[in-house]
Amino acid sequence: MSDAAPAIAFESVSRWFGDTVALADVSFTADGGVIGLLGHNGAGKSTTLKLCAGFSTPSSGTVRIFGTNPRRTPDVYRRVGIVPDHSPPWPFLTARRVVELSAELHRVADHRGAAAAALETVALADAADRPVGGFSHGMRQRVKLAQALAHDPELLLLDEPLNGLDPTQRSHVIELLIRLGREGRTVIVSSHVLHEVERMAPRVLVLVNGHLVAEGATDAIRRLISERPRRVLVQPDRDGRSLARELLALADVDAVRLQNGTIEIETSDPAALSRELPLAAQRTDTLLRGIQPVGDDLESVYAYLHDRARGQAR
Amino acid sequence: MIDAVYALTLRSLLLQKRTIVLVVVALTPVLMALAYALARSPGDHDHSFYSDLVQQLFVPTVAALVSLVFGVSAFGDEREDGTILYLVATPQSRLRLVVAKVAAAWTASVLLLVPSLIVSGALSLRHGLTVGLVGWPLAGVVLASLAYCAASVLLSLYTRRPIVIGVLYIILWEGSIATFAASAAKLSISAYGRAFVGHVLPQAAAPVSGTLVAGIVLVAVAAATAWIAARALGRVELP
Repeated sequence: MSDAAPAIAFESVSRWFGDTVALADVSFTADGGVIGLLGHNGAGKSTTLKLCAGFSTPSSGTVRIFGTNPRRTPDVYRRVGIVPDHSPPWPFLTARRVVELSAELHRVADHRGAAAAALETVALADAADRPVGGFSHGMRQRVKLAQALAHDPELLLLDEPLNGLDPTQRSHVIELLIRLGREGRTVIVSSHVLHEVERMAPRVLVLVNGHLVAEGATDAIRRLISERPRRVLVQPDRDGRSLARELLALADVDAVRLQNGTIEIETSDPAALSRELPLAAQRTDTLLRGIQPVGDDLESVYAYLHDRARGQAR
Repeated sequence: MIDAVYALTLRSLLLQKRTIVLVVVALTPVLMALAYALARSPGDHDHSFYSDLVQQLFVPTVAALVSLVFGVSAFGDEREDGTILYLVATPQSRLRLVVAKVAAAWTASVLLLVPSLIVSGALSLRHGLTVGLVGWPLAGVVLASLAYCAASVLLSLYTRRPIVIGVLYIILWEGSIATFAASAAKLSISAYGRAFVGHVLPQAAAPVSGTLVAGIVLVAVAAATAWIAARALGRVELP
């Protein structure tokens, strides 16, 4: 095991199940700080985390944790904390026992002290002596986080750790993860919500349909997403040809299509369009019956990043 | 550390709902022995009945099924609910984890099988009961159970339907082919378990081996399958 090796190194990793490609030729390294793993459901986030954790073997390419293959070198798990998507183990045990057991299995000398500290960290000390089976989803999430933290790992792999947490708990966990990242640990957090990830992760990896379509500073990805071309459907009260002509003359409008009385506008600056559209309607004496943005949902954002990545590749 | 995994697995196995069914399965020989004891007539041969009960029901069916289900559940249920991830993502040796699982499944099986065999023997043999008449079959059952448990743990790591495959092995191979083909019996766990019974009781068929060889084979099967299971644990796709 090499200490100079990055916490995680993915090299041309692909993973397929039969005909389904879960991950396609993904390469990245992670070493220190919080990194958001962003993507829609089924994008390949969980597969990526499973490969990182050594729960799955790549169909091609290599995955290394601290320079080793975790499937062959279980000792590396001493340095890794994992929050899987699954429920905490042994629901008949108390939260304290679950976390103590995790610390014990990770060879922590003072496993009781470590468990108490981890439960304190996730604000679960008060409920520590209750069986996990009776916990709410949010409390179970915190038990999972505590068991991942109890052995003081250098690398944390967290699969949607904010799921089921209330806003206060979310803030608490986000602050905790920021602190862990600042301490120099590598924290990989998967999520399908960008604004959640950008609060804690200065760097993101965006996965779409198993492809790594964007990687870099969260601010840059956010800018890329907000500056992507948008489409807006406008329904004028009468023949929209004059309004369409007026809109086409605007600097921020890239394209205008008139179809069945509806105007479809493509723009790279939606804010400018929102200012100019009422003025153009006023100039052409047109009443607007409806304005509807198209493709503003998360799936469309990911699809845009996917298309953009493929376009760049070409 | 590993004793904690053993204790937790044992607790999970004994608390699962299917253990109730296994208790019923383990009670079947007792009920048959009780029926025999109640309907016994002066000309009946207690030893024959007991021998048939152990060789034809206890070892190949009751011990096999109970051990199969406990062995499969030791890892199989944890694969289903994801608990296995919390064990695998630790720096513990895979062999030690597997040994803890096999030991827990074996303990749970023995807890059901041993009292059942002793009570069945007591009811069948009444005053003819000796330590040897119970001890030798008991050794066969306990060692066969160990081999079944280890093989079942391995099966649960390789297939999603370990119980179906295990039952097919017990019924088709051990219960059918191995009963009339001597060479096939050499690949039958129950045949080696029955070899211990034949040491003190009359056997329907010639034993596949002596007790020493049978004991070595059963322990070797358990050790080999546990070792392969440990290797598999580092390779199988986890949930």
